Amino acid sequence: MSLVADAFVSQIAAAEAWPENAALYQPLKGEQILLSDNASSLAVQAFLKMCNLPCQVICRANAEYMSPSGKVPFIHVGNQVVSELGPVVQFIKAKGHSLSDGLDEVQKAEMKAYMELVNNMLLTAELYIQWCDEATLEEITEPRYSSPFPWPLNYILVYQKRWEIQRKMKAIGWANKSLDQVFEDVDQCCQALSQRLGAQPYFFSKQPTELDALVFGHLFTILTTQLTNDELREKVKKYKNLIDFCRRIEHNYFEDHAKDTSAGGMQRLPKGPSLH
Amino acid sequence: MGTVHARSLDPLPAAGPDIGFVVGDDAELVEVEPETRQEVLENKDVVVQHVHFDGLGRTKDDFIVYEIGEVFKAKNLIDVMRKSHEAREKLLRLGIFRQVEVLIDTCEGDDALPNGIDVTFEVTELRRVTGSYNTMVGNNEGSMVLGIKLPNLCGRAEKMTFQFSYGTKETSYGLSFFKPQPGNFERNFSVNLYKVTGQFPWSSLRETDRGISTEISFPIWKTSHTLKWEGVWRELGCLSRTASFSIREESGHSLKSSLSHTMAIDTRNSSILPRKGALLKINQELAGYTGGDVSFLKEDFELQLNKRLIWDSVLSASLWGGMLVPIGEKPSSIADRFYLGGPTSIRGFSMYSIGPQSEGDYLGGEAYWAGGLHLYTPLPFRPGQGGFGDLFRTHFFLNAGNLCNLNYGEGPKAHLRKLAECIRWSYGAGIVLRLGNIARLELNYCIPMGVQSGDRICDGVQFGAGIRFL
Repeated sequence: MSLVADAFVSQIAAAEAWPENAALYQPLKGEQILLSDNASSLAVQAFLKMCNLPCQVICRANAEYMSPSGKVPFIHVGNQVVSELGPVVQFIKAKGHSLSDGLDEVQKAEMKAYMELVNNMLLTAELYIQWCDEATLEEITEPRYSSPFPWPLNYILVYQKRWEIQRKMKAIGWANKSLDQVFEDVDQCCQALSQRLGAQPYFFSKQPTELDALVFGHLFTILTTQLTNDELREKVKKYKNLIDFCRRIEHNYFEDHAKDTSAGGMQRLPKGPSLH
Repeated sequence: MGTVHARSLDPLPAAGPDIGFVVGDDAELVEVEPETRQEVLENKDVVVQHVHFDGLGRTKDDFIVYEIGEVFKAKNLIDVMRKSHEAREKLLRLGIFRQVEVLIDTCEGDDALPNGIDVTFEVTELRRVTGSYNTMVGNNEGSMVLGIKLPNLCGRAEKMTFQFSYGTKETSYGLSFFKPQPGNFERNFSVNLYKVTGQFPWSSLRETDRGISTEISFPIWKTSHTLKWEGVWRELGCLSRTASFSIREESGHSLKSSLSHTMAIDTRNSSILPRKGALLKINQELAGYTGGDVSFLKEDFELQLNKRLIWDSVLSASLWGGMLVPIGEKPSSIADRFYLGGPTSIRGFSMYSIGPQSEGDYLGGEAYWAGGLHLYTPLPFRPGQGGFGDLFRTHFFLNAGNLCNLNYGEGPKAHLRKLAECIRWSYGAGIVLRLGNIARLELNYCIPMGVQSGDRICDGVQFGAGIRFL
């Protein structure tokens, strides 16, 4: 398939209406999903809810391998498969739904910059804690990541994934960081977000954008997930306006359906406290 | 009494019983040197006193003794020659000698009996390491294949082979160790370690297998049996972004650990273009009881009957069938199911393009059968007879078969009805070329019939190459 053909297919896809059976795929909620994947998945769910597009959440043990980019979550709409928040936003935009249309160029650039910040800091920190911190790796990541696989595949796949993440950390210069330095980075990131948010309900005043979805996905997951220690959560908890921001989005977009899918399911995460 | 040389015969070709090498017919190959005195050798009683080996290096004596033991039992000269010849064939089959020559002479020395005979085997051992290097092009991919073979590793016909293929897209390797039982080459044991990557465009699927297998082969009466354990880590993925969602759902890792048993009776005179004989092969595989996360029971069989008719033509009938029963809740994996269609099975259909499919990607089926009826004749007007022309045959064929999924709750009657519904069949004619004794090429004109919606056909000329044919 050439790029032209791909583009053609997505053009056609754009013309089609949002189907009833749109689905979001992520790893198993109870025993498999990791902090970073849950954060990314929640961000996409929040984004779709903000766009008012219904989407069923489907949990599959092999979601990571089903995804065209190898990363979760991905959405299956019609016969299109799109993974991760960035491409999903593009895809939804092609279908005529956008949250950032009302912004001017400067604001758009600012939004993109903040999204990069969240991806580079929060997501990377989550990956670091999961795969590079020995205690977390042993107690949480290893048993959860390997849960669907039989022996000896469980060891091999964990080792493979760990090696891949560690190589990535080396490439971006995080390999030599200590856990405290990583927490410090998270703190700085939260501080920047907190300052930008200020007293507004959303980052760009009244209306939520994809940045809000992304920040919500990460912060809410960090706040509600029990790790080996509470340090990461404490870093976020210092910022009152960010917690209120999470509560607001949860209340506006997830509360009505709390009983069925998405954030409601968060409470079923092991030892995960609720924000209510 | 003169010296009789059993002349060294031409090296055996790459195995295969069709080379018309019947023991006993070789009297004409024995040259008796001109003698003044004529003697009738057949009735002359002799005693084989010694058997010598020249040229043995790392091969162990005790291992050789099993192969030549029969020579001592010979009672007359013809018998000696026949038994020596058999011993020579056995030695060559071990795959450890490059050359074996037999020399029969009267016995000399103090303890020599008047009718004593010495048999000398002059052998040349294969080198410790042999290597090969070649390049292959196919499937939109070029690759370089490097092979290393260590024959006769420990002196008892053990063999270690290593093959490494480095391609523009995929890398594969295989390491295998083979050990026969001394004196009984058919009873052997082998261990394999491998990584193979396959791309299956008909399913938009890509599969990487990394595995280890051990197998024991042994003959019982006229049948040969193989018991095998295989542990394989399979990684499935989509070949392209446009693969159907059903294929995407199969993506990921699985571990299959299975025990299998194969029984085969083969009385054919050649495996590629047989003139007579029959083949029956039954294979069963049980996965899941020895570990892994894949559980199923798989049975399949292959039957082929050949009958020689007038004018060198051969009528050949074959029947294949198989069934896969998943055990437990989990549905069967696309990597375990059966596929049908293509120039090597049901001609006139595209490769593996029959049966259940999703958006043009074939998913395979849990049960299948296929039958074929062929009439092979020599080429019209028989050009190149007795030489190159004998590698070719014309054939007329009729193929039929079906592939589907069964609902295992329904019982055998419903299954048979399902397999009898929507039968695909095809007929046509073409030319077959035999490539050595391992593969064949076919160029056919096919007319597919009974085509169901979703099947991909190849109406008209179809080219096929393969090692297993319906």
